[in-house]
Amino acid sequence: MTAHVPKNGKIGIPTPLIDGIEKVTGKAKYVADLPAAGALVGRILRSPVAHGRIISIDVAAAAALDGVIAIATGEDCPVPSGVLPICEDEYPLAREKVRYRGEPVAAVAAIDEETAERALRLIHIEYEILPAYFDARKAMMPGAVAIHDYKPNNVLRECHSEFGDTAAGFSRADLVREKTFRFAEIHHAQIEPNVTLAEYDAVRDALTLYAATQTPYYLHLAVAQCLQIDTSRVRVVKPFLGGGFGARTEALPHDLIAALLARKAKHSVRLCQTREETFISHRGRPETEITLKLGMTREGKLTACHAEVIMRGGAYASYGIITILYTGALLHGIYHIPAIKHDGWRVFTNTAPSGPQRGHGTVDPRAAFEALMNEMAAELRLDEFEVRRANLLSAPCTTMYAQKVLSYGLPECLDKVMKASGWAERRGRMPKGRGLGLGCSHFVSGTSTPKHWTGEPHATVNLKLDFDGGITILTGAADCGQGSNTMVAQVVGEVLGIEEKRMRVVSADSALTPKDNGSYSSRVTFMVGNAALQAAQLLKKMLVEAAAKKLEAPVEEFELSHECLWLPDGRSMPFNEAVQLALVDTGTITVRGTFTCPPEFRGDKNIRGSAIGASMGFSYAAQVVEASVDEITGKVTPHKVWVAVDVGRALNPLAVEGQIQGGVWMGMGQAMTEETAYDEGRMLHANLLEYRVPTMLDSPDIEVFIVESIDPNGPFGAKEASECMLAGFLPALMSAVHEAVGVRPDELPLTPDRLVQLLAARTGA
Amino acid sequence: MELMPSFRFHRPTSLAEAVGALTLDPHARLMAGGTDLLPNLRRFLARPGLLVDLTAVEGFGSIQKMADGGMRIGAGLTLDALIENDYVAADWPVLREAALTVAGPTHRVAATVGGNLCQDTRCMFFNQSEWWRASNGYCLKHDGDRCHVVVKSDRCFATYRGDLAPALMVLDAEAEVIGPEGVRRLKVAELFCDSGANHLNLHAGEILVAVIVPAAEGWCAGYDKVRVRAAIDFPIAGVAAAICRRGSRLCALRVAITGCNSAPVQISTAEFDKTDWDTATAEAVATAVRKSAEFRRTSNVSAKYRRHVLHAITVRLVERLWMQGSSLTVR
Repeated sequence: MTAHVPKNGKIGIPTPLIDGIEKVTGKAKYVADLPAAGALVGRILRSPVAHGRIISIDVAAAAALDGVIAIATGEDCPVPSGVLPICEDEYPLAREKVRYRGEPVAAVAAIDEETAERALRLIHIEYEILPAYFDARKAMMPGAVAIHDYKPNNVLRECHSEFGDTAAGFSRADLVREKTFRFAEIHHAQIEPNVTLAEYDAVRDALTLYAATQTPYYLHLAVAQCLQIDTSRVRVVKPFLGGGFGARTEALPHDLIAALLARKAKHSVRLCQTREETFISHRGRPETEITLKLGMTREGKLTACHAEVIMRGGAYASYGIITILYTGALLHGIYHIPAIKHDGWRVFTNTAPSGPQRGHGTVDPRAAFEALMNEMAAELRLDEFEVRRANLLSAPCTTMYAQKVLSYGLPECLDKVMKASGWAERRGRMPKGRGLGLGCSHFVSGTSTPKHWTGEPHATVNLKLDFDGGITILTGAADCGQGSNTMVAQVVGEVLGIEEKRMRVVSADSALTPKDNGSYSSRVTFMVGNAALQAAQLLKKMLVEAAAKKLEAPVEEFELSHECLWLPDGRSMPFNEAVQLALVDTGTITVRGTFTCPPEFRGDKNIRGSAIGASMGFSYAAQVVEASVDEITGKVTPHKVWVAVDVGRALNPLAVEGQIQGGVWMGMGQAMTEETAYDEGRMLHANLLEYRVPTMLDSPDIEVFIVESIDPNGPFGAKEASECMLAGFLPALMSAVHEAVGVRPDELPLTPDRLVQLLAARTGA
Repeated sequence: MELMPSFRFHRPTSLAEAVGALTLDPHARLMAGGTDLLPNLRRFLARPGLLVDLTAVEGFGSIQKMADGGMRIGAGLTLDALIENDYVAADWPVLREAALTVAGPTHRVAATVGGNLCQDTRCMFFNQSEWWRASNGYCLKHDGDRCHVVVKSDRCFATYRGDLAPALMVLDAEAEVIGPEGVRRLKVAELFCDSGANHLNLHAGEILVAVIVPAAEGWCAGYDKVRVRAAIDFPIAGVAAAICRRGSRLCALRVAITGCNSAPVQISTAEFDKTDWDTATAEAVATAVRKSAEFRRTSNVSAKYRRHVLHAITVRLVERLWMQGSSLTVR
């Protein structure tokens, strides 16, 4: 394949998001804003204990309260759900056991909030307390009580792999170093709290869910499964969404509880979650301990890598198996390393379930890897850029993990940030207390295996064209703020040479739009973009054929632009006239474009787990961070970031720049201030004061350089543009801190107290 | 959606009316900007039957320079207005410095001087939702009978974390309080007591009306605050100091701290008055500070770090003020 070359000025041009005005003027309707006159109020009763057996639940007093319409408990849903079909282990309302503090146990639908709240207080639950584990290593110890019967040792997935001969690699290295890094658990802190509005149609026994979700299709499946209702009687709509970042990539308990309550009450139920409850539903990045060993020659060439990763996964599987596999999969595909060994354990603990936060599974291992690489470079008196350049891939190539790297802009990314940051002149000559550091990272452009294998295409887009000449783009893609609605309109507009105003994007409504797997793993631009491209080409063909008949010209000579169909001899036909001709005899036209990942991009069946980390395109990033350290308080301040990202082609440079800045910024939060904290399983951080996302004052200037390697398979050459740059911030900051004050952090976030400890250890104080 | 306890809402236009309302309902709470109170109410950290909103009281938010060179700041003055005030910027810059570190700009537009001074004490076992506290057996400060910070303690150790109080204390400011018995004045330092569950020395029906700041000529004052982020966060540790310097002589020194004890604490520094400054002075001041500070497990930042950093910023602050003081002419 070769990428299509855009020529109509719709692709590669900074384009404001098509729904941006609604958002900045407050007109956009999020789930909580939807009119739902008379909807009941749903509230959830949550477990006060971290691990316990449910002895009894008494709802009689609550049920007797005036204004209480329905009460649901685990008895109402005997079917578990889980995003991975091989580990469906989570009930929307706990049955028999509770496994983390805050787990939903019962729920009430009542006429108002006060009544619902009073009803919750009247529900009496008796628990038998079991030993609880808040630490992965303790949960893994022999003799620990099993959190789930199906995993008696509390390990959801243990994975071991070795490619090449790591022992030989280490023995031929001039320098071998091993170090343990610790990364705190973090949360997305998306601004819109969790919320679901469930409408029940008692006549048809049908449910409509308006949900704040990135994966309406997975939610659709889970609702049908848990409520044992045919999928045809479920409709899932995702209105405007206030951020996702991986927090909403599966059916969350509150979504399913809203549905359960609505059916039981035979009424609409609105379930708005508090900020605390939004934190409790977690699915963020797990606390991770990584022991990394690297071998390097005197010239900086990597000879071998061994990563041991232990993740505190929380109480349910969620995406856990994929998370732990990613920690190994993405050791591959960025540098040439002759031997890579990976041992991973994703452990059940009595904490909220973790999940696929932005940069899924790669951020912590990548940060550890780059940090150790920088440390070893210093030991060998090599420059940080030099060691990267000594280990570059040469694309096209296939990694030991069977990943196909067809485009690879990392060398250009390195050049760009080296020059822009003045690295050659400034590094090593920074004033006291200030430093520069480098970090690189990469990510997949969509996982090539859907979570539910059905044999359907990976993405489908429908275009509807009618007498009015307007084009309705129907896509299941869940725009979570990243701009996928704008992206499909750009692609269709580019192919058909039409203005944005002629198009209308209808997305993420299962009654109207074709199914889409969802907004996760950075799959949407690549997969849905390609499906939109194909659909637009089909429509173009129909319009051109109609015009060609009238103008008696060969179809291949037509060009579409400026809302006209043009011939080389100067003759033209307005778009609307071509539409009228095309509709003759057929009426309304609907075309379908699809995209399917070819099997050769789906990993190698002989390599266990290689479906994870398999993708059609990999994006690459390099970034330099300049930071200073206040040695008195231990406070680290990042002043400037230069980041270059190979996005294949920036379909919308404005959105791409925003995504890159957002990704770097999220990495900064993880590196600097963000972490969860528990007291015996009680969240101490479940609000935006204690969970410290950086403020504007903490945020450095982020200068973005877009590198376009034009991937042969991406739509117009595009790849992923919002996840790969996140990880690089962490090691770049760690290195800048080293230049500033001479300490090598091994634990993040680098809060003032941690840095003061490092400084004290440095001086031996 | 987060519920709030139900309450009646009263908006008096005079202080007399406000005092009257307070006297009738001993559980009534005062409200001005609401930035401290309302989040606490949403967590059911208080269930007042009556809220008395002071924002309609005439002159409550005024600020005036007085004939003696001092300044009277109405308790209802917003922090934003305090920051923007020219007198403050010219003659009491430490107040501007401290106010600028409070929360974020949108809070400061609503938050008031009085509210900032009287803000409730904070603790990680207290500033949590009703569900959270219920599952932890509540605590001594509210609804419960045990302290999770110091088990077996019969007092609450919740931490005072206001930023303005130490700045006002080193300016030797006074508080004007009105109540059923009339008006009284006390030092700002005397407004507080070191008790997490009851940290204000206000009697039933009393309202903090104003603070009176004397002229600060000859003094050089500053405030330093440590927090994880550059905005929003309460102080992990905060210190205000004022130095009166003549040549190499330290004529007088005042230091006050916040973010440690259950009240802002004025440090006893008389031993340093009328001494010659030497390289060890700053360290000695910091040691005196550290001895008065009490760090407990009330936040998820370790007591060890908070103790360390309070010492470190005290040294830095008094050294900075000593240097600045050399350029002041004492008349």
